[in-house]
Amino acid sequence: MMYDKSFISEEDKAKAVFFEFAEVLKKAGVDISIVEIMDMLHALPFISIAEKEIFKQTLATTLVKDYTDIPIFNQCFEEYFQRKKGNDSLLDVYTSHTNAEDFIFSQEEKSFLESLIDDFLESHPQSFFKKSNEYLTKILIDEIQSSEAGGAIGLSLFNRRSRFASGGADDSTEQELSPQVFEAIMGMLRRRMFERNMGKAIKQREEYLLNKYIYQLKPDEIKEMRELIKRFGQKMKNRISLRKKRVKHGTIDIKRTLRRNLQYGGVPFKIFHRDRKVDRPQLVVMCDISSSVNQYSRFMLLLTYTLQSLFAKVRSFAFISNLVEITDLFREMDPERALNSIFNDTNFTYGWGSNYGNSFNQFIHNYSDALTHKTTVLILGDARNNNQDPGLDSFIKIKERSRNIYWLNPDRKHLWDWSDSIASVYIPHCTEMREVKNFLDLSNFIDTLFIQKK
Amino acid sequence: MFNSIEDTIQQLEKQRYICSKEIATTVYLALKMQKPILVEGPAGVGKTDLGKCIAQALGYELIRLQCYEGLDEAKALYEWEYAKQLLYTQILKDKLSKILEDQATLKDAVNKLSTEEDVFFSEKFLVARPILKAITNKTPSLLLIDEIDKSDSEFEAFLLEVLSDFQVTIPEIGTITAVNKPFVLLTSNNAREMSDALKRRCLHLYIDYPTKELEEQIVKLKVPECGNYLIKEIINTIHEIRKLPLKKDPSISETLDWAKALALLGCEVLNRNIAIDTLNFILKYEKDIELVKKNINTIIVH
Repeated sequence: MMYDKSFISEEDKAKAVFFEFAEVLKKAGVDISIVEIMDMLHALPFISIAEKEIFKQTLATTLVKDYTDIPIFNQCFEEYFQRKKGNDSLLDVYTSHTNAEDFIFSQEEKSFLESLIDDFLESHPQSFFKKSNEYLTKILIDEIQSSEAGGAIGLSLFNRRSRFASGGADDSTEQELSPQVFEAIMGMLRRRMFERNMGKAIKQREEYLLNKYIYQLKPDEIKEMRELIKRFGQKMKNRISLRKKRVKHGTIDIKRTLRRNLQYGGVPFKIFHRDRKVDRPQLVVMCDISSSVNQYSRFMLLLTYTLQSLFAKVRSFAFISNLVEITDLFREMDPERALNSIFNDTNFTYGWGSNYGNSFNQFIHNYSDALTHKTTVLILGDARNNNQDPGLDSFIKIKERSRNIYWLNPDRKHLWDWSDSIASVYIPHCTEMREVKNFLDLSNFIDTLFIQKK
Repeated sequence: MFNSIEDTIQQLEKQRYICSKEIATTVYLALKMQKPILVEGPAGVGKTDLGKCIAQALGYELIRLQCYEGLDEAKALYEWEYAKQLLYTQILKDKLSKILEDQATLKDAVNKLSTEEDVFFSEKFLVARPILKAITNKTPSLLLIDEIDKSDSEFEAFLLEVLSDFQVTIPEIGTITAVNKPFVLLTSNNAREMSDALKRRCLHLYIDYPTKELEEQIVKLKVPECGNYLIKEIINTIHEIRKLPLKKDPSISETLDWAKALALLGCEVLNRNIAIDTLNFILKYEKDIELVKKNINTIIVH
């Protein structure tokens, strides 16, 4: 099954490295298509790869099209091209890398080895892999040899004398692995480790955070999510604006058509359409931020911030027992500072826990100008009213003066009405009460919000 | 044409544009590969200037298209000159009736006329807007599509044909292919994300705030009346300020404004009082100014 390696040119080997690097980026969640890879290959002949800055920028400019992915690219680049060969020139890295593997192993053996390496990587804890590569490779080889898994291919692998090994090594089956084979296996192990660590790890981390139950987010995870939410927010905005634009043209605008066509003697050469008003949602977001130590309220505020940056007409309010408008605060500060200053604000009286009734009353009293028949009201909170007056009258007033009222509840459905939660008091008056327990839920909700509007 | 990346940097410097190796690499590659560049980055880092200076350095004609919401093909590509068409039909009335004279029926007349209609939909009656201009230009040109993120996504889709094939299709005439492929530069302030299809056709360049050394060079070049010592202080301060969590970081153009202002005021050193009084040159939000004032002691030493 061995195919002749001499057919693989030096150039192809160099290319293989670039394909592999693109693969690493893809696994890290960077969107790369064949067009980008072709561009990269076209660009490389124009530059000298020995100059690191230029080489790096060439890869970045052809492969990475989304600026939010640049940090990921930088990370991958440093790891991939730096760590591999210490201080050797980049040129060496291309040519030496796949060489050894390809010379020694057939395609079949290679993929077999890779699967063994994957098993090896999965069967040990993360901390184990901090050891040196030589050490790890020795363990790997020991494990493969001692286990049955090796099978026939395994045996042939380890008993083979490398083509490079000096002619007359003795034929005993117990012989040491030739350094070349060892070196090649080590290279493969390192690469697999690297790929898993770099690409997949980044992606998995993101998915983990997006799916994590809000209540369980740790403070530093919330910080970590800021960038992520920003990126997702941007993507969401883009999606929404695409949908909006499709319904732009309305009926004929008689007045404008007549006036503009006067220059052609009143003959309507050019028809003008009335631009259908782009449906920009007007949102009022009310966010319960009680139990200020709880990470959940920080997260909720972060969501509110995201919403406000997504849509033009958003007014944001925060409440515990009193309601305060925070629209301007969010407009002027970056989220971190805004959040801190909200929690330091003396307008909130702590201690009594959230009072939905009072907050709704205050809203009707002070801010009912925010409500029009186009407004969608979002309430982010768990409806735990601490056994106080639910302020249902005000709530119904809010409902009557707005178009929709959605309640996004971070509690799981079976916990609504549990303890001091009075979700079911409000449910009949909401357009919908929904369980929103992680960021993906919220993103789905916003999507549906726009589908319903025609 | 630039000969190398080094040469790109030098040629642009002659146009008073200091650029990093990264910028030069992308520009050089784009020229070699005949691909458009999509330039992104915060406002005021010199995205538009880059286009202008490349055009000057290469001796290309600069054709600029400013994007905005509602920009359509008629404004960007071409428009039929209805008034002129109408006028010509009026003037040529006699000629027309002569041609149609010997046609017996109305149907024949229409048929006859339709053989002539090419005349009215020819390039004579076409008003070329920036994109068509760039494509039909006799000499090489640089098409600068500014703030593409402000345009609608339909317009973006329409640009695809231009960007990949350097050709446009006019239904009445056919496809017009570029004589000299224009060098296309698109800039975006990230108001919205561009579609994948568009990004795929471009090289991507992200211009961030420059390093201290680079920014110092820029200020020295543009505001030489500021002494070297003051410039160093300004740059250090600006870089400290950018580390704060601001709503809007001061960009290069704001650094330049500040340097000019301080030079006019006759400052020789930058001390706290002067800095506080002139913060509004570099910061555009009240809350940002407050924050910097609060931290002024750590930002400026004297």
